[in-house]
Amino acid sequence: MNDVKDFTTVRIVFSKKGRARYISHLDLNRTMTRAVRRAGLPIWYTEGFNKHPYLTFAAPLSLGFEGERETMDLRLERDMPMDELVSRLDAVMPEGLRILDAAPAVKKAGEVACAVYRLTLNCPVEAVNSLLAQESITAQKRTKKKELVTVELKPVLDAAQGCVSECPEGTRWELTLPMGSELSVNPSLIVAALREQQGLPTLSAQVLRLRVLSKDGTEFV
Amino acid sequence: MALTLDELFDRVQKPARYTGGELNSVVKDKSKVNVRFAFCFPDLYEVGMSHLGMKILYGLKNAVEDFWCERVFAPDTDMEALMRENGIPLFALESRDPVREFDFVGFTLQYEMCYTTILNMLDLAGIPLRADQRGEDMPLVIAGGPCACNPEPLADFFDIFILGEGEEVNLELMTLYREHKQQGYDKQRFLKAAAQLEGVYVPAFYEVSYHEDGRVQAITPIGGVPATVRKRVIRDMDTAYYPEAFVVPFIDIVHDRAMSEIFRGCIRGCRFCQAGFIYRPVREKSVETIDRQSRCLCETSGYEEFSLSSLSTSDYTHLEELLTQLLSWAEEQHTNISVPSLRVDGFSEELANRLNVLRRNGLTFAPEAGTQRLRDTINKNLTEDEILETARRAFSGGWTSVKLYFMMGLPTETAEDIVGINTLGQKIVNCFYQNPNKPKGKGVTVSVSVSCFVPKPFTPFQWEPQDTLAQLEEKQRLLRESVTTKKVSLSWHDAKTSYLEAVLARGDRRLGAVLEEAFRRGFNLDAWSEHFDFDAWMDIFRNQGLNPDFYACRRREEDEVFPWDHIDVGVTKAFLWAENQRAHEGVTTPHCRQECSHCGAACFKGGVCVERR
Ligand code: SF4
Repeated sequence: MNDVKDFTTVRIVFSKKGRARYISHLDLNRTMTRAVRRAGLPIWYTEGFNKHPYLTFAAPLSLGFEGERETMDLRLERDMPMDELVSRLDAVMPEGLRILDAAPAVKKAGEVACAVYRLTLNCPVEAVNSLLAQESITAQKRTKKKELVTVELKPVLDAAQGCVSECPEGTRWELTLPMGSELSVNPSLIVAALREQQGLPTLSAQVLRLRVLSKDGTEFV
Repeated sequence: MALTLDELFDRVQKPARYTGGELNSVVKDKSKVNVRFAFCFPDLYEVGMSHLGMKILYGLKNAVEDFWCERVFAPDTDMEALMRENGIPLFALESRDPVREFDFVGFTLQYEMCYTTILNMLDLAGIPLRADQRGEDMPLVIAGGPCACNPEPLADFFDIFILGEGEEVNLELMTLYREHKQQGYDKQRFLKAAAQLEGVYVPAFYEVSYHEDGRVQAITPIGGVPATVRKRVIRDMDTAYYPEAFVVPFIDIVHDRAMSEIFRGCIRGCRFCQAGFIYRPVREKSVETIDRQSRCLCETSGYEEFSLSSLSTSDYTHLEELLTQLLSWAEEQHTNISVPSLRVDGFSEELANRLNVLRRNGLTFAPEAGTQRLRDTINKNLTEDEILETARRAFSGGWTSVKLYFMMGLPTETAEDIVGINTLGQKIVNCFYQNPNKPKGKGVTVSVSVSCFVPKPFTPFQWEPQDTLAQLEEKQRLLRESVTTKKVSLSWHDAKTSYLEAVLARGDRRLGAVLEEAFRRGFNLDAWSEHFDFDAWMDIFRNQGLNPDFYACRRREEDEVFPWDHIDVGVTKAFLWAENQRAHEGVTTPHCRQECSHCGAACFKGGVCVERR
């Protein structure tokens, strides 16, 4: 087996918007693999019977969400200029996916700590403020074993450095949610809590992940 | 408040089936387009997107600057319910415009069980089902594909059927339409003109009369259209259009890979196989053409795999040369080549290993019948020795499972033939244990998959009755009881589905009412067994006063007028009858490269019929 340390792992920053937000995480992996092949990048293939290009995502994005600065890691067989990599890959992307940046990966995937989201909601600002004023904010969540459990979101929202403002669609809410191995909160839980507790059956939300942060508070790139 | 399309996407399974925006999908400026074509595949996205014919015609039409072809698939039940609730009509993926605003709505007819899905899609589009209910303001609803060789059960619903290969005739039809549109479009005038194009069948211009017992008496052309409509054939495959790019889906589909067509037609003439007759004659692409097209498709799609497409890969005349050439660049680029329906015998060991034939496809055979006598009757030239020899070779390579495909209910079939299915399976099991260096501690599995024979138009068996459901069940029982080892595992195709398929395959126009009623009762996606309700279908036949056995289980006389007799696929009825007689005598017929049997397809003046033998 080849020694993987011989190869550079490159972290690529990309955006995922518009129609591309409906590409699921699994499908994104395939989409990116094919893009890398179209661009003819010298990507490293795993060994074994089922050879495939080495490509990973430190912070997968849920189906239906948009991402402003997502990351993907791939391993190159030989060095190449980063700006050339960006332009070649960007040229072969389908609609909605744009390659923004690339650099040798320094931070480990385990350093991902939280993410900043922007929710665009079709409800008035008061609904959000009134939710935040509650003693307890809960939502139902399915565990890996498919059991329904109730989670308390109050502490998370208190720490979320939220910023609520008016916008043409209704409300814009920017907030930071934990995303790590111990605790991870998906913004759809917050939307569900808002829908249930404020009695908004027709509430719909567009979710945009603005950036992913690492434990030291800097952007995870 | 009605939901928007985007809000629907947030609520359905696999939204990427409906969003469009895939790589290489074609978006044009509407204001610069003169003819818009909605290419509809009457099944789910995953199935339709795997279909090579759609990719060819999509690319072909879009290569013309002022034509725009878009894709439409049947929405799954969750999406359809939401669309109906929120008043969103069937739309095309590229522009998201309602299908009803297009000039042409074209369906591909790949299998009979999709007919109700077609009606449901028309309804979801807000398009009246019957052709005579659609005026100037509605799109022309057309269809092509293999089932168009007997389109009669659908005759009431379509303005035009395209017969044979669509590459040239689709463009001719759209060009004619553009001319008519510029001079003031009148539907009747257009259809009259279109019916003069070879390969264009306008069902409204043909009148069908029936005998009292329901057999067709005559099919009469009206208003100066040709008495028979001949299918279209592309004479030279090397100069024929082939797409430089495939739309690359986001979600996983049935065949998610590039595809290179290596030839059309089949030299073999298995007597049950419709494709073997309606696509005659065999026309090959050269090694250079296939190599160039494969390479191009892999580059533009990024696919990690491509497959060679044809009815019988092993019959390609320069197969070793082709594969060696393809492997020369594919291996370097980590691209896999998949070679379906390859006969491993007579194939160099080295090449088989490089292709990884066995590991990738497993070892599969389609003997179709259990005894040599019956294989001769159906003209399937695969001998027991060939099967056993290949199995031995695979076992000595460490392989431990084999898959076999058979049909039951074939003409002249006896109990001996049914039991013969198990005997053959058992012989393969024995091969495994006779292998001196078989893997220790491992058993063998021989999976036997049995489907029910469906007699099809334009085959030598078009006169034959299908076995009744009771007969098929009896044969299934017999086979089940003949199997005495767990090493042979049996699986069946649903006999009821095959029965309905047989009714529709050789059906006439009177079945239109049945299909319409089935649609009214909400039948849809019948090809998916969870949606198929056999008893309800039988109820509809009763209500319409039609006996399905008349279509499926009746033996026809030699001179019976068939509902599809005005359609000409090149192969003559006289040849098919002669083949039918040879079948009953148990005599095989040589394939096209051994000897020409003068089937009639030489009228197209191409391919194997003009090759030097
Ligand atoms: S005319 Fe002869 S060579 Fe041509 S397809 Fe028919 S049998 Fe084959």
